Amino acid sequence: MQRRASLGGLRLALPAALGLGLLAAGCGGGEEAEGGRTRVVFWHSFVNSTIPALDELVARFEREHPDIDLVPQYIPTGDALVQKLITAVRSNTAPDVSWIHADYLEDLVAADAIYPMSEFIDGPDGLSPADLADIYPALLTYASYRGTLYSLPMEATNLGLLYNRDLFREAGLDPDRPPATWDELVAYSQRLTLDRNGDGRFERIGFAVPVSPGTGPDGPWMVWQFTAFLMQAGGDIIDSGQTRVLYAHEPGRQALNLWKRLFDLQNQRQFSNEYQSTFVSQQAAMMLDGPWNLPNYPRLLRGIDWGIAPLPAGPDGPATVVGGEYLAIFRQSAHPEAAWTFVKWVASPEIQAFWSQRSGYLPIRRSVLELPAYRAFLAENPGLRAYAEQMAVARAQRSVDFSSLEIQRNLAVAIEQATVGGEDPGAVLDRAAAASNALLDAADRTAVAAPRPAPAPNGAQPVE
Amino acid sequence: MMAEVAAAEAQGLRRVASAAARPRRAPWRRDGRTAFLLLAPTLAVFGVFVLFPIVFSFYLSFQQWNLFSGAHTFVGGANYRAVFADPEFWQVFRNTAVYTLATVPLNMALALGVAVLLARRMRGKRLLRAAFFTPVVVSSVAAGVIWRWVFDPNLGLFNVSLGALGLPAVDWTSNGTSAMAALIIVGVWKTFGVNMVLFSAGLSGIPRQYYEAAAMDGARAWGQFRHITLPLLAPTTLFVLVLSMIGSFQVFDIVFVLTRGGPLGATKVLVYYLYEHAFKYFDMGYASAVAYLLFALLFAITLVQIRAFRNRGAGAV
Repeated sequence: MQRRASLGGLRLALPAALGLGLLAAGCGGGEEAEGGRTRVVFWHSFVNSTIPALDELVARFEREHPDIDLVPQYIPTGDALVQKLITAVRSNTAPDVSWIHADYLEDLVAADAIYPMSEFIDGPDGLSPADLADIYPALLTYASYRGTLYSLPMEATNLGLLYNRDLFREAGLDPDRPPATWDELVAYSQRLTLDRNGDGRFERIGFAVPVSPGTGPDGPWMVWQFTAFLMQAGGDIIDSGQTRVLYAHEPGRQALNLWKRLFDLQNQRQFSNEYQSTFVSQQAAMMLDGPWNLPNYPRLLRGIDWGIAPLPAGPDGPATVVGGEYLAIFRQSAHPEAAWTFVKWVASPEIQAFWSQRSGYLPIRRSVLELPAYRAFLAENPGLRAYAEQMAVARAQRSVDFSSLEIQRNLAVAIEQATVGGEDPGAVLDRAAAASNALLDAADRTAVAAPRPAPAPNGAQPVE
Repeated sequence: MMAEVAAAEAQGLRRVASAAARPRRAPWRRDGRTAFLLLAPTLAVFGVFVLFPIVFSFYLSFQQWNLFSGAHTFVGGANYRAVFADPEFWQVFRNTAVYTLATVPLNMALALGVAVLLARRMRGKRLLRAAFFTPVVVSSVAAGVIWRWVFDPNLGLFNVSLGALGLPAVDWTSNGTSAMAALIIVGVWKTFGVNMVLFSAGLSGIPRQYYEAAAMDGARAWGQFRHITLPLLAPTTLFVLVLSMIGSFQVFDIVFVLTRGGPLGATKVLVYYLYEHAFKYFDMGYASAVAYLLFALLFAITLVQIRAFRNRGAGAV
């Protein structure tokens, strides 16, 4: 899933990328590191604040696997990652293992650039059905393309509600009772919205509706957040046969109506769309956020009493959208087995607990939440605990197998049109659905070979 | 990148033109051989990184090619037809035209005005010239990020200043017209320094005697400007106009950082559209078709401009 670089991460991202690019150029081609260790190049887009944790992870892996030299290389996320992957695949310099987003699977599989992960899972050094069943099924949905598991998650995330407890108190709201329903979200937003000087423009809003330019780089991120509300209304993106998009149905309309209502009532057209900055400067009292930013908050939100709450429940109950980063092994790798050793190691419960404690991400396996040491850790980290508890209602949208980027974009444009453009939510959703359905009609459904057996929808075992 | 390509193309055209004027001489003869040898590295780089992509992109514009898989098929003019049939292309085209028509005159007027003022004897002239030129060398991305903060509706310097003056705030990010205005402001700020330097060079080439004679005849400053500066500056003006038009039509980086094409696509420009199709949807054939349409358009505009100036120049003589 699209992952937002934190403010701190952004600043170092560019020089780091340049530096690593030079380094990579310097060591390119060499497959054996000094001392005959197997070199495994690992591309990732972790934000700056996660890098120390990553260094620890790599050190631990190399300690436990002295024959493997794991080389993490930073690639900026979003468009840059997929552009680099394409360049690398086309020029035969692909990494051994890389982060990917579910959106890229369509192209990566079409180009036969990655191994189906099931080849390793079913292999001699594979994973047991019990191991797979322990991983959140929603994550495996995103890790698969047309029913085949092509990647494995490295960590889990979901979307929660970050709120300012000080501002809640100031507005006469109970900071221990964050909004639990859509109606409360609207009511709280009204209470928290403030026009101090009476000029008709709000100095403070309650809930920052995360609208951004639909075709811009943040479009996919906006759609991902919208999906959480779509699920709270009981909706989905696409039907199981991949023939029709579903976001223009009633749940989609309800979700977009809610966003539009909040957007209009807080007059967000006249408000900054730098959401994180407005929260940090206490001009927005609530915003959507994921756990990856938690390590930054002691510094960024110094002096603010903040909390994390589960997302308010919609007409269909509580739900949030799951995210994560997925590891894929590239066909051009000279050591796919060594790459698999890393992927399998990262997915083990012990390492998941370790990685979550260091990085602030959530574990991909349910059993980790039962480990006593991890429970003790969560007790000391209420923010992360809120996210961890929310995993129980975290769901994956059904992934779109054809023209997924365009179909996602059509929805992003519709969201912008209904909010910033002031258009009717039903009308813009119908328009987006018509354009997307035309793409699905034109999709070449024979392009990819028959899908291999896949994990059952309830997240159970793959059957060979 | 596009600007460099265009500049290189323009240079190439001029080189061809001047070569045609002189008698032809094979490059391998006597001193020609040395020259060719010395040029070889540059020519190789130019050939691999400029010439080849230009030609290859033309070939691609008739292909259906997904960058990832590498498989491509000939589709004839289908890419061009698809571009013309896409309503978004026309919106993007209109946006680019609006941006160009606003930016180029503003840019040239400002550049000429500043150049004329700085042509006088004055203190701190060099410092001022350097200051006006600084935006040109500032990284577009850094500048874009700074301006994004300046234009932020409730945190930004611009609206805070308007408020302090008792003026109503402007919704720079959610109103299409304001967002385009913001883009134009930044576009002019970022590029007029180059034109100022070009005009300054042009001005220093005008002999002083003309002004002295005109002053003797009683011409005032405005008369001198209209009847001496402007006509004698015409070649520079043509050059500046052509370069500015090309540059404006190819605007990308500040859009990418400042408005990200929003709101509602109101600031999405041609090259941004091209970028999206090339590097987000990986439809290289389609993107190449857009690139060649842009090239054809710029070529036509440049020809018209050169012809118009030539005719006017002929009439004046």
